[in-house]
Amino acid sequence: MSDKTQNPQPRTEAVQTTGHAWDGDLQEYNNPLPRWWLWCFYGTAVFSILYWFVYPSWPVGDTWIKGFGTVTYTVTDRATGVEEERTDRWNTRYLLVEEMNRAANDPRRREMLERVQAADYEEIVADPRMMEFVRSVGRGLFGDNCAGCHGRGGEGVAGLYPNLTNDDWLWGGRMEQIHETLVLGRNGFMPAFGRVLNPTQLDEVAEYVLTLSGEAPPSEAAARGQEIFQGRIGGCYHCHGMEGTGLPSQGAPNLTNRIWNIVDVPGQDTVQDKKAVVGAFVAQGVENVRVMPGWQDRLSPIDVKLLAVYVHQLGGGAQ
Amino acid sequence: MVQSSALPAEQYNYDIVRKFTIMAMVWAVIGMMVGVYIASELAWPGLNLDNPALTFGRLRPVHTTLVIFGFGGCALFATSYYIVQRTCQARLAFPWLAEFTFWGWQAGVGLGALSYMAGITQGREYAEFAWPLDIAITVVWVSYLAVYVETLRRRNQPHIYVANWFFLAYILAVALLHIFNNLAVPVSWTESYSLFAGVQDAMVQWWYGHNAVGFFLTAAFLGMMYYFVPKQAGRPIYSYRLSIIHFWALIFLYMWAGGHHLHWTSLPDWVSTLAATFSILLLMPSWGGMINGIMTLSGAWDKLRSDPVMLFLITSLSFYGMSTFEGPLMSLKSVNALSHYTDWTVGHVHSGALGWVALISFGSFYHLIPRLWDTRMYSQNLIYVHFWLATIGIVLYITSMWVAGIGQGLMLRSFDDYGNLAYTFIETVEFMHTPYIWRALGGVFFVTGVLVMVYNFVMTVRSARREQAALDAKLAAKMAKA
Repeated sequence: MSDKTQNPQPRTEAVQTTGHAWDGDLQEYNNPLPRWWLWCFYGTAVFSILYWFVYPSWPVGDTWIKGFGTVTYTVTDRATGVEEERTDRWNTRYLLVEEMNRAANDPRRREMLERVQAADYEEIVADPRMMEFVRSVGRGLFGDNCAGCHGRGGEGVAGLYPNLTNDDWLWGGRMEQIHETLVLGRNGFMPAFGRVLNPTQLDEVAEYVLTLSGEAPPSEAAARGQEIFQGRIGGCYHCHGMEGTGLPSQGAPNLTNRIWNIVDVPGQDTVQDKKAVVGAFVAQGVENVRVMPGWQDRLSPIDVKLLAVYVHQLGGGAQ
Repeated sequence: MVQSSALPAEQYNYDIVRKFTIMAMVWAVIGMMVGVYIASELAWPGLNLDNPALTFGRLRPVHTTLVIFGFGGCALFATSYYIVQRTCQARLAFPWLAEFTFWGWQAGVGLGALSYMAGITQGREYAEFAWPLDIAITVVWVSYLAVYVETLRRRNQPHIYVANWFFLAYILAVALLHIFNNLAVPVSWTESYSLFAGVQDAMVQWWYGHNAVGFFLTAAFLGMMYYFVPKQAGRPIYSYRLSIIHFWALIFLYMWAGGHHLHWTSLPDWVSTLAATFSILLLMPSWGGMINGIMTLSGAWDKLRSDPVMLFLITSLSFYGMSTFEGPLMSLKSVNALSHYTDWTVGHVHSGALGWVALISFGSFYHLIPRLWDTRMYSQNLIYVHFWLATIGIVLYITSMWVAGIGQGLMLRSFDDYGNLAYTFIETVEFMHTPYIWRALGGVFFVTGVLVMVYNFVMTVRSARREQAALDAKLAAKMAKA
């Protein structure tokens, strides 16, 4: 068809056009396919065919061509505990089984896990290699499970989630206590005293609480607050103790150490403002907002153990 | 038949082409600005301002819809209506129906974007439209097909030019994809449930998603390329034979490749394998279009020095070649295990979307605009400025996403001395913060380039009006003298 050229090309052009012209000057040469292009195309075809031979590929009837590739994996009989190695045609299911096995059976990891499992907390803390392992696993466990609330370094979020890096512990900082917190979760609770105390009393209690940590100087109002705190009207001492030093079994914080978990006392400039935020908090209480979920269904016992040690060593864990 | 044409004597219907061209630029500006905004949200999450409508989850489909269907779609309507008329030497058929495709398409895109911000979505990537909009879009698309086919039928040319094959394939395939992917059972005016379940639903979704890339963003823009590159170069297309072979190979092979978006999922292994190999087989057919475009310039390479429009067109083909090489590579199971779910994918999409789709559209528009308004571009230098802003933007975007994606992929699979995972997920997020900032900056460059183009466009139209007015005055004076 290239003979019926309407617009002959200059004589220097060796290749002819197809002879059609659109929209004035729009034409097409009839160059052959570039050799390298064609050979590369054949190359991709050869590659694809080889790929079909290695991996499962074409469907045939109600099955498919399985491919020559294989995957070797280990299965453990649940009843007898006997391990058996099997080889099957390549497929992603057994590949996953094998990769999970390989990760779980890493000899370095396995050895350390067995040691940690057998040891008690004191032995773990005393052994630098075990502690190194705890930090290696714990970083990942903490980062994937705890960091969402407590922050990647365990620093917490003021007012929302407790800081785990200081030596103040709402529910106790010994490893057994941290372990219990992890397994069962915690539900922080303080009644709303606005229902019980009048504004003047709230004000006085707040002033007293501030004197406990030296945030406010002693005063007559604080003395009246002390009576409420330590007496029947307020009854604060039931949880916070007569001295205000807290009670881990109730999750009641120590009020004498200037560590404020919820109320933003450090952010206030004057005693008046500090008193206002503490008073408002006492009136409102803590009901169903300071909840930590239990992890027993999500973490294995050994993970919890490792995590307890990891959290303990993050800050000043108690002895 | 003739509805309301300013110049009934005009050989072709340019009015509809002008409208689509303008709207393509409008959607480009809005859609790409939304893109920069959500890119910034990923670097600085506070930017969502605690407003649900401004969160990444809602704005992301707004961005993709405005850019792909708003900008890309309008650019395709404009150029396909232009090309089919000029290469068939026939005026566009059914002008009223063409007019309907314009208003229908704008309404669909606009309402879609607003509905996503309101939280109404099907949750299917690139097909988020709620079912009533899906039906409306189907009607618009069938109208498009009718206008296009009837114009082809009325052609005054014995042969159908290659660009039209690509456009027709794209219109037919998109109709097919859109209808099957959106088969659903409505339960209210805004909600519906897909007709397919589980992995089959995922497979249909990615059959759609991948071919949306293949037919909407590749085949159709190749149609654009096949007209504007030889036109701008003033030279014949390199090889007619290559165009036939790569057209049919591309059309046949693309349909099989969607499964590579679902590697390492519950998709059957054999489907995965076939999807990977058909993606590999796609490499050379894709490159056929690039070769045909670039080799068309063979013997006239000096045009790259003197013609900024040519620079846009040839650079777009280079990015096209690069991303169609990267795609098959990423579709291999072993590579995909690293790249999938990371920003490498996002970078890959944008090397295609910014580098290929957007640059070929800008180049085509720079060719088109002076012809539509019968004048010259206001400033050649501003075209150069646009070109460099766009290129810098794309390079920043792609490289930062390579760093973020490959970096995250490697972090997630590295182990420490005890065989424990070396990094937590949150650490990979922290690592990506810096590349995210660079990516957003790349977007700023690209949008700035588009704004330069819009300015150039507006000034061109204004000077065209002025020239026309001067011409009219001259004519009137002559008439008065006579």
